[in-house]
Amino acid sequence: MSVSLYPLATLAQIEKTPSREDGIPQNLEEDLRAYGCKLISQAGILLKQKQVAVATAQILFQRFWYVTSMKQFGIGDVGMGALYLASKLEECPLRMRDLINVYDLLLQRAAHTLSSSQHDFKYAPMSYFGNTFYDLKDALVVAEMQILKRLGFHVNVVLPYGTLVNYLRVLGLTNRSEVCTRAWGYLNDALQSPVYALYPVPTIVSAAILLTTRHYGIALPSDPENCWWELFDAEWEDVWSVCGYIMRLYRQKDPMEQMQLLTMINKKGVRQWLEENHSNSDVR
Amino acid sequence: MARSRVRLPFTTFHPFVMSATSTSAGPSTPSRKRSRWDSEDNSPDSPPQLAQPQKRRAKSEQHQVKPQSLKATNSTPANAPPRITAQRKQQAHSIYVPPRTSHPPLMPSRSVYCYERLNSIEEGSYGVVFRARDKETGDIVALKKLKLDEEKHGFPITALREINSLMVCKHENVVGIREVVVGDTLTQVFIVMDFIEHDLKSLLTLMPSPFLQSEIKTLMLQLLSAVAHCHERWILHRDLKTSNLLMNNRGTIKVADFGLARRYGDPVGVGGLTQLVVTLWYRAPEILLGATTYSTAVDMWSVGCIFAELILKEPLFQAKGEIELLSMIFKLLGPPNSSTWPEYSSLPLAKTINLPPYHPPQLRQKFPYLTAAGIDLMSKLLTYDPEERISAEDALHHPYFSESPHPKHPDLFGSFPSVAAGEKRRKPDSPAAPIRAADYKLLTEFDLP
Repeated sequence: MSVSLYPLATLAQIEKTPSREDGIPQNLEEDLRAYGCKLISQAGILLKQKQVAVATAQILFQRFWYVTSMKQFGIGDVGMGALYLASKLEECPLRMRDLINVYDLLLQRAAHTLSSSQHDFKYAPMSYFGNTFYDLKDALVVAEMQILKRLGFHVNVVLPYGTLVNYLRVLGLTNRSEVCTRAWGYLNDALQSPVYALYPVPTIVSAAILLTTRHYGIALPSDPENCWWELFDAEWEDVWSVCGYIMRLYRQKDPMEQMQLLTMINKKGVRQWLEENHSNSDVR
Repeated sequence: MARSRVRLPFTTFHPFVMSATSTSAGPSTPSRKRSRWDSEDNSPDSPPQLAQPQKRRAKSEQHQVKPQSLKATNSTPANAPPRITAQRKQQAHSIYVPPRTSHPPLMPSRSVYCYERLNSIEEGSYGVVFRARDKETGDIVALKKLKLDEEKHGFPITALREINSLMVCKHENVVGIREVVVGDTLTQVFIVMDFIEHDLKSLLTLMPSPFLQSEIKTLMLQLLSAVAHCHERWILHRDLKTSNLLMNNRGTIKVADFGLARRYGDPVGVGGLTQLVVTLWYRAPEILLGATTYSTAVDMWSVGCIFAELILKEPLFQAKGEIELLSMIFKLLGPPNSSTWPEYSSLPLAKTINLPPYHPPQLRQKFPYLTAAGIDLMSKLLTYDPEERISAEDALHHPYFSESPHPKHPDLFGSFPSVAAGEKRRKPDSPAAPIRAADYKLLTEFDLP
């Protein structure tokens, strides 16, 4: 077995992300990150792409926003670029046209939801040589290159699933399939939060196990002298913080908030929001 | 999923702990407009570098800035020494869970203008390699420019594999990747690697007398430990040969050119692997016969060929084509049969080959002065059946390395004039990687035409 050192955000990057520097509040940024990751995941399902590639894409996507502001690049484009790049990294490359078609569908669907029209959504495929294709293609190529460049080509990603299996075995929980499934689910949901860019894998896996065992009321050694998470080299405060990130994903959003996110898929929407919200009162 | 028992902690990061220094800005563009770094010499107005720039360890500085753990540093200044409690905790960590501080930070690529171009080392269809000096530390490095024009599929997957393999396989005997830097436009990307003076191919041809057994053992141990390291990290090199083994003046070899490397999985070859890999002379028989699910054993065959080349001072199988290569292999090792290679007949191209009548292996005749243990290692590396071929890990513990003469300490190796650094000597011909591969092959041999 060997140690793999994947990059994590520095404290300075976490304290002040580029988007917050530009005036996007932390909550909104987190919601936009989660929304971008959902788009990646939806695209991955529609493309029948492997989960390893989808997960890798989401992690690269999360890392990207510690070095770039959403005012500068849209979450739609960067998500698309991340999925394209991650598919290469995981040796299951996608056809550019397939990916673009799927993202076009997702964008059209978002636009349809926004328009609040009475009709059901009906996808209108783009023309083969139309501008839509070339515009999206340009955006895709630029996004991929920007991800590489801004992450310094450190695109090494370590996925948490193997570690989870390992830890569940150590804790003797593998015979309860609902526990395994739920912990696995938390790991997948956590991909929509920034934690994979913030904490090492053992901490995140411990958090997934903590949430799961609490949900099912399973007791694990938690006395100050011997706590089970210490076995996995995780610190309580870190595990707790990861739990917080994960649980925040499930909070109820009001419909207006939800709609607001849909308008901010691209940087144009983000800039418009910033203009509207900072024109009268400068929050910074 | 609504849960009530877990209280949501609010994020504990406060804006008042703004670190003064390390906001990551993008690479600064030089004031001169569109001056192509690699077009011609550096700006004439830049003062000649007389004094060596001050050596600075950029890496260790970064480490100090980084937090031990997210919550621990909120109260301490960024560059304060780690607290004692934290240090004690750190030692209790499993070696497989390094502390957060040893993870690299998220850092954008720097600009290529951080380097001063010296001389070009090699130029090919796939890219150019320059020798360059880091303006900040004064270190001499090798800079490989990736060719990214007319890419139809975004950033080429082969270049990604190369960069990723180099980053994942960091090892004493693998050429060190320092960073990837970018030029003015999105099409200019350079891999920055440690500069190594020689490649083994030119050394073997130029050196007056062959390597001693003790030296061969040292080189083989280094090569094997590098290959074992890559395989452990699920990377196949797929182009091991003497011209891709670099050697410094301190007796250390470094595996280079990961232009054909890729990750493999378990089970191997999901999605199929190409047969257009490994320079012909070092290509394993299963690839020659069209296998699409080859694995780590292909690298081990190449290691066997390199082992033989170190002894013979010339390549073992100098064939002009694949058929000639197969017949040379059959001649040296005896043709394969159902006991030495059970899967032989099921390989795609096996039916197209006429096997010569059986004869025993000729290794002893080929290497009359090699010890029995040496012959044994050679035959285990050049084993037909990929399943039976020795692994790098096992080869490291082969008795050949523990018998007399013992491996020579690297410091006791002689030094040689470096061709790549411009120290005069002529280079011999060396065969190129396969044609299709050559388009993607991005890291070059460090020898002059």
